[in-house]
Amino acid sequence: MDVGVIPISNFQLGLSVVLVLITGLISAALKLELLKPLIWGTVRTFVQLTLIGYALTLIFQVNNLALIIIIVTLMCLIASRTASQRTPNAGRGPLLLGFVSLWVSTFLVGSIVVVLVISPQPWYSARIVIPIFGMILGNSMNGIALSLDRLFSEVKSRILEIEALLSFGATPWEAVRDCVKEALRAGMTPTINSLMVVGLVSLPGMMTGQILGGADPQQAVRYQIVVMLMIAAAVAIGCLLLILMSYKRLFTKTDAISPAVFTADGNKR
Amino acid sequence: MADFFYFENISYHLGAAGRRVIVSASLAEGGVLLIKGPSGAGKTTLLKILARLQECDSGQVFFKGENWLTIPVQLWRAMISCNSQKPAVFNGTVLDNLRRPFSLKIRKEAFNLSEAEKGLLELLLSREILGQEARTLSGGEAARVALLRSVLLNPDILLLDEPAASLDDKSGSAVRDFLYHWVRQRPGRGIIMVSHQHDCNDLPGTKVLDLGVQQRGVN
Repeated sequence: MDVGVIPISNFQLGLSVVLVLITGLISAALKLELLKPLIWGTVRTFVQLTLIGYALTLIFQVNNLALIIIIVTLMCLIASRTASQRTPNAGRGPLLLGFVSLWVSTFLVGSIVVVLVISPQPWYSARIVIPIFGMILGNSMNGIALSLDRLFSEVKSRILEIEALLSFGATPWEAVRDCVKEALRAGMTPTINSLMVVGLVSLPGMMTGQILGGADPQQAVRYQIVVMLMIAAAVAIGCLLLILMSYKRLFTKTDAISPAVFTADGNKR
Repeated sequence: MADFFYFENISYHLGAAGRRVIVSASLAEGGVLLIKGPSGAGKTTLLKILARLQECDSGQVFFKGENWLTIPVQLWRAMISCNSQKPAVFNGTVLDNLRRPFSLKIRKEAFNLSEAEKGLLELLLSREILGQEARTLSGGEAARVALLRSVLLNPDILLLDEPAASLDDKSGSAVRDFLYHWVRQRPGRGIIMVSHQHDCNDLPGTKVLDLGVQQRGVN
């Protein structure tokens, strides 16, 4: 059994461009007009990943705790920006709230995994921390975007029910609880589904990567289990935090439905 | 009994054009205040403001001598209960719908089934409707169920937005009888109602607030 990474030379890397050519030919033959974005995407992939390769090499060498925290915080910022752009129903998404909930859930869950479960030496080893935190962020980013968007769309479609509950004397929380339930469900469903089918339908990227890198499959599986569970926890915490911090925005200071909720979809009022 | 419920110089804007409405009126104990006016005169908005479901620019409301701002908003809404024109329907059966408000923290009393059944009969609905999925109700049935739901919560003042709009003559007059019975059944009750129907004028103790007339004087 050969162990270790089989290196890819520049020439071999260049061969992978053949794959782009195939895609390009299909696009050109069927006039899909995807050629330009395809080329641009290929160039970006090469440039971004090459740069991040150098950056990671440097970061792993320096391995400074403060630097790691700054990098992960930056990653949270980019993730929350992306998430808030994916919430058409929430208007201009609450960037700050998204950032706070991503940061807290990522650091909480990530620290538990790195310090208690993997425990490398030193505990803040960048080789472990950055990929782990990155995987958490990538997934919670999607989760919080889904749940926030769902919260606002549910509230819009149930505006009559919410107003009725308020006029029965409900608090804002009581009035939106059904919507919150739906929103959390929407945010967590993809993660829970992936817990169901992992290993049956797909071999997750991280595990595949470790196996390609020469790791023992049984060890790779153990890592994957930890990763799946930490992602589930981080998504749940992130969604819950964001919704707890956002739902008040739907109401005015006197607990009436905010006029912005009515005007956001153009009709009513 | 002029100081049972009254509002002074309630001022609000309508729509993007910002037409301003300023109104004052009072409601006597056991009485009915009828709000009239053409479409877009701000009748529904006034109801929502009185129920504190929407904010106004200025003005004050007093109930039994107390300024509305001195009463916690949830308590105010429980006392001055607003019933929208389009009935709110929750998932589940009609019984689930009638029970729903009793799950709220502010509700100390329990749901009373026999009272609900009695109300259904008075509103010309059969007992069997309790088991029906509420989403399958007709517009007129849903409006009456929503009205009954508000009444079962025993508010002091009912704010109603065209309660007979989706009803035929027979159930419309049943609703009317039901409401006028309700408002006199116990002391300390009142009704403020938006209505296009003219047949309510003949009832004793009914006052009319015409928003069409009111706003001509202003702006």
